[in-house]
Amino acid sequence: MRTEPQPITMRINGRSYSFIVGRDLAPETTLSAFLRDQLGLTGLKVSCDEGACGACTIIMDGRAVLSCMVLAVEANGCDLLTIEGLPADDPVIAAFAEQSEPGHGTALQCGYCTPGFVMTTRALLNRNPHPTFAEIKEALGGNLCRCGCYTGIAQAALHAAEKLAVKEPVQ
Amino acid sequence: MSAPYKPRVPRKYIGGYRPRIDGLEKASGRARYADDLASKGAFPGMLYAKALRCPYPRARIKSLDISKAEQLPGVGAILTYQDPEVRRLKMTNACWTDATDTTSYARMRWYKFRDRHVLGDYGAWVGDELGVVVAAETEQIAEQALRLIDVEWEVLPFVLDYEEAMRPGAPVIHPDIAPTNVLPADDFGGPDVFVNRGDIDRAFAEADVIVETDSRHHNPTQGSLDPWCCVVQWKGDSLELWSNSYAGVQSRMHLSQMLEMPLHKVRSVSYYVGGQFGRGDTGDQPFFLFTALLAKKAGRPVKYKHTRRNSFHDTRQSADYHCEAAARRDGTITGLSFKAYGNAGAHADNSVSAFKHVPQEIIEVALAPIPNLRMEAYVVYTDRIPGCMMRGIGNSQFNFAIGVLLDELAEQLGMDPIDLIVKNFGHEWGRIPDDSLCEVLMAGAQRMDWHKRHRPGAGPSPDGIHKRGVGFSFHPAWHAEWQEWRRGQVQVNLTLHPDLTVTLDAPTVETGTGSNTCNVLGCAEALSFLGIGPDDIAWVPTVDTDRGIRDCVQTDSAVSYLQAEVMSWGAKELKRKLIASAAEIVQVEPEALDIQDGQLIFRSDPQRNAPLKDVLFRGDLSSMVVNLSRPPDGQKTGVPYFATFAEVDVDTDTGRVDVTKLVVINDCGTVMYATGAEAQQIGGQVMALGETLTEELIYDEASGIPLNFNFIDYKIPTLADMPDVEPVLLEVWKGAGEYGACGIGEGAVTCTPRAVANAVYNAIGVRIDDLPLTPEKVLRGLGKC
Repeated sequence: MRTEPQPITMRINGRSYSFIVGRDLAPETTLSAFLRDQLGLTGLKVSCDEGACGACTIIMDGRAVLSCMVLAVEANGCDLLTIEGLPADDPVIAAFAEQSEPGHGTALQCGYCTPGFVMTTRALLNRNPHPTFAEIKEALGGNLCRCGCYTGIAQAALHAAEKLAVKEPVQ
Repeated sequence: MSAPYKPRVPRKYIGGYRPRIDGLEKASGRARYADDLASKGAFPGMLYAKALRCPYPRARIKSLDISKAEQLPGVGAILTYQDPEVRRLKMTNACWTDATDTTSYARMRWYKFRDRHVLGDYGAWVGDELGVVVAAETEQIAEQALRLIDVEWEVLPFVLDYEEAMRPGAPVIHPDIAPTNVLPADDFGGPDVFVNRGDIDRAFAEADVIVETDSRHHNPTQGSLDPWCCVVQWKGDSLELWSNSYAGVQSRMHLSQMLEMPLHKVRSVSYYVGGQFGRGDTGDQPFFLFTALLAKKAGRPVKYKHTRRNSFHDTRQSADYHCEAAARRDGTITGLSFKAYGNAGAHADNSVSAFKHVPQEIIEVALAPIPNLRMEAYVVYTDRIPGCMMRGIGNSQFNFAIGVLLDELAEQLGMDPIDLIVKNFGHEWGRIPDDSLCEVLMAGAQRMDWHKRHRPGAGPSPDGIHKRGVGFSFHPAWHAEWQEWRRGQVQVNLTLHPDLTVTLDAPTVETGTGSNTCNVLGCAEALSFLGIGPDDIAWVPTVDTDRGIRDCVQTDSAVSYLQAEVMSWGAKELKRKLIASAAEIVQVEPEALDIQDGQLIFRSDPQRNAPLKDVLFRGDLSSMVVNLSRPPDGQKTGVPYFATFAEVDVDTDTGRVDVTKLVVINDCGTVMYATGAEAQQIGGQVMALGETLTEELIYDEASGIPLNFNFIDYKIPTLADMPDVEPVLLEVWKGAGEYGACGIGEGAVTCTPRAVANAVYNAIGVRIDDLPLTPEKVLRGLGKC
């Protein structure tokens, strides 16, 4: 079936892009595949490709979404943030990298799920800068970490909130 | 929360709490995995491969017609089981090595069980790769091409259950290897009755107390988030494999021997790997081979990646154990008998290890004092997903079996199970009571208020519905016995630059274990005479066989210390070379010099002492390389122990088991990296509680088709599901060498299912010994359904 060329636009990590459906991407291309294969944004991972693991989480118009469950064409007109778009000194990244508090282990081991957890945490903190432990559990309860670093991840999320409060105090 | 552990020997870097060396790279999404690297940008012209998978539990291809698929635009190459380069491939097994780093085809440990055709015409489980592979411009085209292939199947009768498979007249899965579906005796596993020590019949005849238990372990899967992925490209008659294999040199050996190519024409490269957990056994997987042949035929690089469904590729072997114990009234165990039935699934791989070799090793290192012992095992082919390594091999199944036997025996004797265990178990080279075993159990007992526990089912239940209980299980770290000497040479190259920074080539594929951080800490510790720290050391994160030295394979949880031991030993060599080099620059005899804390020391002329860096910068500025290669120290040292204690809350109305607390205790010998060790202790509980409570592969018994090869219906615990886990690190035992450490990652999962099941018994007074402990089974046990 031939698809008539149609332009779509999106902002990705602060830059505006325009794509032609049918030329740059097929209508059935998922956003995760598009971001990884076409744009080289390989920070997000495709692990289950069916919305069950959270490894492909990105932020779309301020909300954490599973990019494997969104078609690229559905992102038309949207503002997308992938992990590559976070600043090098992002407090969430730092908190996940640094976690070594005794009794909690690290916040990552193999690292495959980590970009998804970082983006989910970032989205949580954007809307709730001071989450309780229960709120963190709820918000991150859709992401899988098979290495099992949940304790360290929860600590990292708490520490990220503390770092954020210092760096970006709520006015 | 436990206090942080206190090291037995204070050291500068080894044993510390600190971030991982790859923390920032991974947290920022910059760490690259096979699937990230295998792009069309990196491999121009790359095609995507897909394999036909058997849609029936057992079937044979009668004929194939690929003519329509060949005409499909975008198809680059098709290979079938009838092509000569495929037919030439030898029969194989996906577990060549087992406890060694590299093995040739001829020395493959399970050579009697070479039951895998690479792309043959026969499938023995739903999902078996067979018949035909396609490489195309996109994955979608490759899938479409597969759909266009007309396959005429001979659908064969199948069997999923091991008991049915053992009955006369059952479908025979691999007639040439196992005419009755029971894997025959082999040199390594031994006969069906593989241990028969003392006089077991007499022991039972003369016993004061006899108990019998039955237990069933199921087959959970590894569930690594990073699906198997590889890309193969040919350069002339040389081949390059880029993959998430965790065994670089062994992958090269596998390709070389199967494709009959010299080693120097095969290159294997691995980057970061998103979780391993024993999947694919030692990684000698057929898809590497057919991807290579497709790439050759197409004349272009070819990428092959598993879908999530394909990643349900191997599992822990399900197991039924019947156990018997005989004891005297005073708690002396006089006889033990184990009979195991293991479901190997469609390929043998190393399932015999799970039921014969590993239990035998455990006997030697933990059950040594038991005078009368009989062990019997039947490992049976069926048309299920193949069994495999999974964070250990056979340990979890054996632990689940013996843990109930001991709990039941202690109850019959009116003893505390801890006293029973301490009285009876220990290493053949050690003494009883064993210090490590005592301290591990004591540490758990204290933290769980073990001595205040109630009798089974007799605890208070304020609402009449919820009941609480506690339980534990222990296990020997049997790998530690020989310090992994069977691996052969452990190799490390240290490159010291004139500014006293180090490039550390301690090759091992980083699968998440944190051994890369252990290596950097080990290097900093060994080179602390240079006054340098971990930030001065760059660890090379890739394993590339073209660099020449052998990677230390991520099995046996052993890489945390094997390379660090070699560096500790080799630092003397580096110091000697450095002094010789500095002596030439400063024009004195080497004997007159020393190096301490980064300073060049003039032994009899301290006035001339100077920073070593400044001295080296007066030389030719070449970097100094030391190539270290040494086998592990095989000194006999006995073994340390580990244990899990669990507290549960059982809802007797719904049958739901909530684990409310876990205490995980490991005697590590030496803690190499405390944060990493705790991460293993805590992290392992996700896999362990999953297999205890929620994870289960479900088949449609009528069709033989698996129903839940996905992460929605195969339930891995999330953050919201996990209880508090208290990690306890101990240093009681010590192995050979500077550190005398042992691995703990594998064993983190071993004791948990039994600890939880015993806790459930303590809560409700009814034993549920069939994993997973689902609400239905609990209610059935309570007589409520």
